Amino acid sequence: MSAELKELESILNVTLPEKLVEEVVKVEEGHFDVLASAKNAYDLMKILHEEAGIYHLSTITGYEKEDEFNICYHIQHRIEEEVREVPINFIVTKVDKKNPKAPSMFDFFEAAEYYEREVYDFYGIYFENHPFLQRLILPERWPDDVKPLRKEYSWEQMREITMKIAKEGMEEK
Amino acid sequence: MTEQYRSRFRTLTDGSDAPEGADHHVYIGPQHPWAEEPAHFIIHLKGERVVEANIRIGFNLRGIEKAMENRTWRQNVMLVPRACGICSAVHQNVYVRVVDKLAGVEDQISERARLIRMFSLEAERIHSHILWYGILAHDAGFDTMLHITWRDREIIMDIMEEVSGNRVNYSINLPGGVRRDIRPEQVPSIRERLAKLRKQVEYHKKVFTEEASIRNRLQDVGILTKEDAKKTTPNGPTARGSGLPFDVRKTYPYEMYDKIDWDLVYYTEGDVLATTLVRVDETLASIAIMERCLDQLESTQGELLIRVRPRVPEGKYMTRAEAPRGEDIHYGIANGTDKPERYKIRAPSLGNIDATLRRMDSEYIADMPVILRSYDPCFSCTNRVMLINENTGEKLILNQDEFAQKAIKAKKYNRPFF
Repeated sequence: MSAELKELESILNVTLPEKLVEEVVKVEEGHFDVLASAKNAYDLMKILHEEAGIYHLSTITGYEKEDEFNICYHIQHRIEEEVREVPINFIVTKVDKKNPKAPSMFDFFEAAEYYEREVYDFYGIYFENHPFLQRLILPERWPDDVKPLRKEYSWEQMREITMKIAKEGMEEK
Repeated sequence: MTEQYRSRFRTLTDGSDAPEGADHHVYIGPQHPWAEEPAHFIIHLKGERVVEANIRIGFNLRGIEKAMENRTWRQNVMLVPRACGICSAVHQNVYVRVVDKLAGVEDQISERARLIRMFSLEAERIHSHILWYGILAHDAGFDTMLHITWRDREIIMDIMEEVSGNRVNYSINLPGGVRRDIRPEQVPSIRERLAKLRKQVEYHKKVFTEEASIRNRLQDVGILTKEDAKKTTPNGPTARGSGLPFDVRKTYPYEMYDKIDWDLVYYTEGDVLATTLVRVDETLASIAIMERCLDQLESTQGELLIRVRPRVPEGKYMTRAEAPRGEDIHYGIANGTDKPERYKIRAPSLGNIDATLRRMDSEYIADMPVILRSYDPCFSCTNRVMLINENTGEKLILNQDEFAQKAIKAKKYNRPFF
């Protein structure tokens, strides 16, 4: 058991099963990265939400890492008496690039509903058990198969598509 | 939970996916020159009461996150404040702190540079808050207050124009320090004007708490309870009006906020008046912080700008700041080159939309303008509200003033909106 995991457990006052946690990294004093694979992420978040009482989700970041996608849930452990927050970056790793699927955290955070839709828009990651997984930000005419924040699409390609759909919109009228 | 849950972020803009029981639908937008998010609001009504308020966002997607991956860390310093029209300094501040940390220079930044950064952040908070509660008064049909507040806002605009060269987009934060110094000869006149501004803001507070015409319009309107606030995770003044005492400046201090004595403001009522008073009180607190920055600057010396290499070593860092509207969060991933691998920005308004729409449940449509305004969405105009009577198909297009007048009359004489 690593020292970082122990420190996080003492702050949260819970036990995090070692088999669910991939790694805990201490970024700075009172700021942690928690890594868990897509398979275990849901169970680990359940402990963080129900036992440690974490209810604030700031946002969700998706990013590419070599041959997998990672999804980072930025959650805050809030201690109201001390007016203190412990930021935790909960990183879901090993999301397969060919068939990107991850568990939805909507059961624990209502805000995950729209943040996950944003990741779905930009990376095409499918969130299982999401109540309303539809387009949130991209325009109506945007082609379904183009996921703009993936590295395979360049800035120039994005500009071409944007110009194309704008032109289509003008002509349709 | 999954079965009954209905997302308030919709994909259709014609209102055809209305909830059961609604007989009228009010459409607003999307062509609002709204600084961060021009949005399309769909308000479903039963009679005069709101059944559910929905939104569609995404009309102003500029692709800043993708654009940042194509520019160098240094170029992005000037791109990132463009994420928001009003809270540009705070975006820049969070960005430079991400770069400072990743480049490993965050311990070398001098106290003087940190104080000047704080000075610009607080000035921005003051001008943003004054602007907001002025427009709120305008929406509530109290235009005198709009003119009074905007006149007084010029004081802080003039101070920042002198200090930074710009009225709004200060661009004073840079990786490694700040762009400009506050010279000692500028300080007496800044102090004098801050004292004058404090007197004015105290007067604003008196108006909001004692003047019946505005107070009655805001009190007990759009209540967001603490439980609902915990569930929908709003941030900033929206949450602090509902009794969640979380301000990033206190809960996870950055720059020098832990070394300066200042008061955290929060209210527990949860109505629109509470979020307004949070902002008025915060403006007073910000003036005090600015004065303390000036006190400390007298005795603090140090290098303003240190060198930061253009190539940022590999790593990732998340950091937050308290923007005027709430918690601004950035996540930067560096890959060892001079360009970011991935950069994520979450501006505070997105987190506040869901909670604000929930405030409108079973409220009068007449209260809609002030509730929509309550989370400070940088509405620069609420023109082109179209009301459609579902039974007759009659359409009615109103501009903002007509809409506000109709809303006030409906509330005052307790008669239907149509």
